[in-house]
Amino acid sequence: MYEMLCAGCGHRTAMMILDEIIKEKNIKEKIIMALDVACCSLLIDYVDYDAIMCAHGRVLDVTKGYKMMRDENIVISYMGDGAAYSIGIEEMIHSARRNDAVLAIVINNGLYSMTGGQVAPTYVGANVNAGVNVNVGVNVNVGADVNVGANVNAGADIIRPIVVTNVDTEGTKLSEPVSNDNNIGFKIENIIGNLPISYFARASITDKENIDTAKKYINTAFDKYIKSGGFNLVELLSPCPTNYKLKPVDMVNVINNGWSKVYKIGEIVNNV
Amino acid sequence: MKRILNGNEAFAYGALAAGIDFYAGYPITPSTDVYEFFEKYGKDYGVKFVHASSEVSAINMIMGASIAGARALTVTSGCGFSLMQETISYMAADFVPSVILNVMREGAGLGDIPRSQGDYNQMTKGGGNGDYHTIVLACSTIKDCVEFPSIAYELSEKYQNPVIITYDSDIAHTKEIVEVPIRIKNDINKLSYTLTGNINNNPKRIQNIYYHDSDYNNTLKNKYELIEENEQRYSDYFTEDANVILVAFSICARICIDVVKRARAEGIKVGLIIPITLYPFPKKVFEKINNCKKIIVVELNILKQMRMDVEYFTKFKYEYYSINSMSTCETVLDILNFIKEHK
Ligand code: SF4
Repeated sequence: MYEMLCAGCGHRTAMMILDEIIKEKNIKEKIIMALDVACCSLLIDYVDYDAIMCAHGRVLDVTKGYKMMRDENIVISYMGDGAAYSIGIEEMIHSARRNDAVLAIVINNGLYSMTGGQVAPTYVGANVNAGVNVNVGVNVNVGADVNVGANVNAGADIIRPIVVTNVDTEGTKLSEPVSNDNNIGFKIENIIGNLPISYFARASITDKENIDTAKKYINTAFDKYIKSGGFNLVELLSPCPTNYKLKPVDMVNVINNGWSKVYKIGEIVNNV
Repeated sequence: MKRILNGNEAFAYGALAAGIDFYAGYPITPSTDVYEFFEKYGKDYGVKFVHASSEVSAINMIMGASIAGARALTVTSGCGFSLMQETISYMAADFVPSVILNVMREGAGLGDIPRSQGDYNQMTKGGGNGDYHTIVLACSTIKDCVEFPSIAYELSEKYQNPVIITYDSDIAHTKEIVEVPIRIKNDINKLSYTLTGNINNNPKRIQNIYYHDSDYNNTLKNKYELIEENEQRYSDYFTEDANVILVAFSICARICIDVVKRARAEGIKVGLIIPITLYPFPKKVFEKINNCKKIIVVELNILKQMRMDVEYFTKFKYEYYSINSMSTCETVLDILNFIKEHK
């Protein structure tokens, strides 16, 4: 299944959820998949839907143009966090402000994956052991400001952030919750949360429980989109074991015990 | 119906006649009349209109509408046209049709808004990254502005490639009486490659990187060979017996028509070639030339961009001269005097 992806990759899980939902709803003939570049684009040869590979960050514009011409189709905007929140943030805001008919899935793994793991705005880091979290926070700030570099670790991390040490495979402990610190990780709800959008939810795709929740949110997004259009976005905290240089199971722990504390999980905007 | 229209308005009516369904754009002088036209009147004709957040966004909406089978349009100038290049390159590589109007601005960078033909190289050599061409149609009259959109959509759908229509700001803002054709309705289901959803268990994919395929490179190469073989378009005046031939497009072509008339009245054998397709360059027309020794390329850019093509495609076998400047056209008399001095 989607064999071009690495072992433990979140794209596979996300696609399997989408495949299931599309099958259950019996809407395969209506689906258009619009994929962003890089690891997202690896899916193009596998999906059983009409599909287009868009320019980096341009998925929402392409899907909007399409949807305005063929309203009866269900156009899935499938992209990574770099596409959605960095290079494509302008069209994200444009679509959210207009509450355009959008059904978007954002795979958030904090990195530019195919190019080898450079930090995205969403970067939180992989080291979630007690005490080290503080460093992770600093790294993110410094990431935008190389001159701050008093922190040698952080400086090194800017160039190559994926230096992982000391991950506790037994289930990592997080002594200092960092979820209130808005400087860590780019949270799209801070930008579009007050715009007139239909739906925004965030889930992680790590274990059965979380995947079930993710599926529930994606299902809701589909339903709302099919019923009344509007801007519907589900962000998935997603493993990229290859670039974090972790075993898939350790990656799951990092997301469950680290990222999920930084990023709010749940239905964050749900307007009628 | 006959109307008095400037080039931009005429183009808008031409696009309506071609059956456009969708317009996305961002205002920029000297092309904004077209944007305003569709903002105001698009609805009346059933044309969906979006004010995009940038030219980058506009061209990507065009791509989305095109893969849905629409005849989609965006109109821009100068820097706005540059911003669109990534996706124009994608569309050429992805075999997606589309039509883009570039009303040329003067200069590089921001430049300014007087008449100019400085985008010649950008339009004819690709303009974005990679190995591709766009078909380029240059309007020299207001009638061309009305008629070329229909031709452009047909070519773009036939070759599954973007087509650029272009003219300078003199053509954009010159008014003439033209016949406005009747609007046809585009059938969004007419093209076999339109994405409709996987209805026959045979998913269609629009992509330009093939992880498993294929003969993609050859398909792409064949596309441009076919275009170059079949689609060279031009107008020529008195070329067969001419000793001197002028080559010019858009506003320069207008001036050169008068030069030819005056010269002929004085017994000087001057001819004129107006390339209509800047790409593919109409090299076939030069094969019909007999007596000519001298070619004068009249253009509005300081780098003599079109002259390089003229020299290359005529195999460097004539004496070549340029009358060129960034934004000021030489007058009919200036050009005539130049011809006399170089007889
Ligand atoms: S690099 Fe990361 S995101 Fe890309 S396929 Fe591998 S695991 Fe998935």
